[in-house]
Amino acid sequence: MSEAPSFRRSRLSGELPFRILTLGSVLLAAALLFTLVAVIMEKSLILWPVEAPLTFLTSSGWFGSTAPSGVITAAFGALPMIWGTLVTSLIGIAVAAPIGIFAAIYLVELAPKRLAAPLTFLVEIVAAIPSVVIGLWALGELSPRLRDSIEWWVASTVGQFIPWLSEDPQQPSDTSVFRSGIVLAIMITPMVAAVSREVIRSVPQSLREGLVGMGATKWETIRLVILPTAKVGLLGAVLLAFGRAIGETIAVRLTIGMNISEIPPTLFQPGSSIAAQIAGAFGEASPIEKGALAGLGLSLFILTLTLSLIVRLLMWRSANRMGART
Amino acid sequence: MESEQTTASKIAAKATRRDTTAVGEKSHIAMQLTDVEAMYGNFRAVNKVSLEIEARSVTAFIGPSGCGKTTLLRTLNRMHETLPGATVKGSIEVSGVNLYGSSIDPVRVRRSIGMVFQKPNPFPAMSIAQNVASGLRLSGMKANKKVAEIVEESLRKAALWDEVKDKLNEPGISLSGGQQQRLCIARTIAVEPEIVLMDEPCSALDPLATLKIEELIGELKTKYTIVIVTHNMQQAARVSDTTAFFNMGPDRGGFLVETGPTTKIFTNPTNKLTEDYIAGRFG
Amino acid sequence: MNQAPLPNIRLDFSLTPHDIRRRRVNQIMLRIIQAAAIVSVVPLFTILFVIFSKGLPQLGLSFLLNGPLEQPTGIVNAIQGSLVMTFIAIIAAAPIGIGGGIYLNEYASTRVARIGELFIDIMLGVPSILAGLFAYFALVPILGHSGWTGSIALTVLMVPVVMRTTQEVLRLVPAGLREASLALGVPLWRTTIFVTCRTALSGIMTGVVLAISRGLGETAPLLLTSQTSNDVSINLGQPMNAMTVVIYQNATSSDPQIVATAWTTALVLFVVALILNVSVRFKTVNNRVF
Repeated sequence: MSEAPSFRRSRLSGELPFRILTLGSVLLAAALLFTLVAVIMEKSLILWPVEAPLTFLTSSGWFGSTAPSGVITAAFGALPMIWGTLVTSLIGIAVAAPIGIFAAIYLVELAPKRLAAPLTFLVEIVAAIPSVVIGLWALGELSPRLRDSIEWWVASTVGQFIPWLSEDPQQPSDTSVFRSGIVLAIMITPMVAAVSREVIRSVPQSLREGLVGMGATKWETIRLVILPTAKVGLLGAVLLAFGRAIGETIAVRLTIGMNISEIPPTLFQPGSSIAAQIAGAFGEASPIEKGALAGLGLSLFILTLTLSLIVRLLMWRSANRMGART
Repeated sequence: MESEQTTASKIAAKATRRDTTAVGEKSHIAMQLTDVEAMYGNFRAVNKVSLEIEARSVTAFIGPSGCGKTTLLRTLNRMHETLPGATVKGSIEVSGVNLYGSSIDPVRVRRSIGMVFQKPNPFPAMSIAQNVASGLRLSGMKANKKVAEIVEESLRKAALWDEVKDKLNEPGISLSGGQQQRLCIARTIAVEPEIVLMDEPCSALDPLATLKIEELIGELKTKYTIVIVTHNMQQAARVSDTTAFFNMGPDRGGFLVETGPTTKIFTNPTNKLTEDYIAGRFG
Repeated sequence: MNQAPLPNIRLDFSLTPHDIRRRRVNQIMLRIIQAAAIVSVVPLFTILFVIFSKGLPQLGLSFLLNGPLEQPTGIVNAIQGSLVMTFIAIIAAAPIGIGGGIYLNEYASTRVARIGELFIDIMLGVPSILAGLFAYFALVPILGHSGWTGSIALTVLMVPVVMRTTQEVLRLVPAGLREASLALGVPLWRTTIFVTCRTALSGIMTGVVLAISRGLGETAPLLLTSQTSNDVSINLGQPMNAMTVVIYQNATSSDPQIVATAWTTALVLFVVALILNVSVRFKTVNNRVF
């Protein structure tokens, strides 16, 4: 009897500090995130009296100065950057989603056993290359090639009929919205493939056998069983990669150009993106422009936050669905 | 257009198929296995099995774990070879045709020789009706009245219709385990296979659900040739007409010990091994 | 069974035109899928080839050991800067991430753990430029453009990587191990450290290495915080150079010599990133986190 209390005390001696320490880590991380958002919000406050949030999001133009008298003349519109962010990311995901998902299918379902592991490594290692390295390669090698091949070809065929696919009316530039989209595609394909691979792997083997046992071809099994069963998870993979594309800064900055004042009339002209604009304009920004950049940052955060929430909800749903009696 | 034509010609072919009896063939043999061997890479899981499987009756494969009975079953519709590194030797003849002949498409074989698996595996992304119709979809039939009729007929044959007729559009995985397995049986017989292979179909089910499946097997054998793998000797005794007993050899490969009418195997086996196994002395 | 005997089984395995079409579709689709896999590795080889062919000529000991103002020019200050800032950042991020991962997996209720998961997701999804923006606004007024601000910006990006990996690998530790230890009367916190975490140690280290790899590869946050410098110094109180920043700034130059420096730096960075990832890859290829 007399041992019991001392026993309990000795148990607690390290327990409480350890608990507090680990809980503290969680709280510290959460605090970091909250501070990050709060600071960016606070810095954007200077902008809103000059440019109302809705006008900021829906207008074009990037100009601001403070006269010695203290009068601020400014017109900041995020529309071209938001447009550029979404369009480059959409181009990226439109290319990366089919290739990434098909590559994942190949790795899980079709690749010969010996080839699967090394090939998986090769596909997914691209994600580990720093984006500035990809940006350098894209700027020096990929971009001119894309301009002289796909862009030129599309512009001279389809571009005759669709204005936003026509040739750059000025002389062809080193940078364009389209090229940034392709660079993003290259960067996020491994991510789509990696997440899709996990999702496809978690489709129970018994389901594949079920349809194969009824006389289905491999492709029919993929189309009728694997893809529908993995649907939600694959959507999550695509959205996750889309979020990555939206936030990508350096590779886009190097390939998209610096056209901040308007939405470019064709995809083959320079544009800008939110992240690229923040990185590019920060150096010489006046205080009011910094406020505008904070406003851009805030909109970027809201975009990625929304995507993160959707993806997490999908992943939970997908886990429930595949865990249920299958 | 074309697919309708195909379906029509297939139905016609099926009609004639039922009426002809090849002269000079043993009329009761559905499958003739000759020296069948199944390998996983270099490992021989099944050693030279020669066996005749009687048409429109139930043949049970029994034996201890690891004796290769499931592997052998999976060679009968060429499922075995879908696993990486898995190969088959020997011949399996069905109506005079070797399933492993060079001109035979394994995908085509599996449509005529259906399979029910150990774990009920309805497709989670499909409704109950879609699950049953999945094989028809493969053969090019579009969802229409004819398909709906076949779905109903198959579900009736699988003794599931009354339980699901009001919720055909709900997902197949919403059913209980026993219902799921009957759904899988319905799915298998919807494409009118001649032979149905069952791989321990009751091992994941409770006794009541098991009883239902066993009754169902008794009804199905009037129309289909059934080969069932089971762990449960009482089940083999209850449902099968013929029993084949397998054991694991010293090289860990399975081999056929003996085969015969179920009553004989269970009451008066020829081989000492069979007797010991039936008596529960090993396995 | 008083029915008339049924006729013998006649199976006909010949293919209908529909079957032949299915077979063809199958072959075509499998080819397309295979092609997608091939296409997805093409960029890797192209990048590898270009980086080596453009970066290798200038690579030498002097490139790695000289400062930018010396002849021949080198990037020692950038290498030092990258290493020092990443080192400081991981010193801060690893304990926070590991501790947080432990709490979420070992102590938190299911509900708190789920909220925690969501938080990590959001943090992982924060674009790196925002971490830079945050550090610029919050810390540059206090610490100036310096190695410290750069390190803190990197810390924000590394914490969720470590925390996510820790949480995931701890989840894989069999409950039986914990219970065996607890049943011996070992308190939970000691069980967590000496049984659970030790079992998952290589996985946790994977998270740390992935975070280091992320830190070394970041450019945008450093542009806003540590900026750049030609000094060969590891003084964290001053602006600091980093390999990524060198690549970025030299990339757009019209002087081929400066662009060549970018390529060679890219080669060095690429090799480092590759080594870091290969070192953890083979252990985690089947339970990686995202």
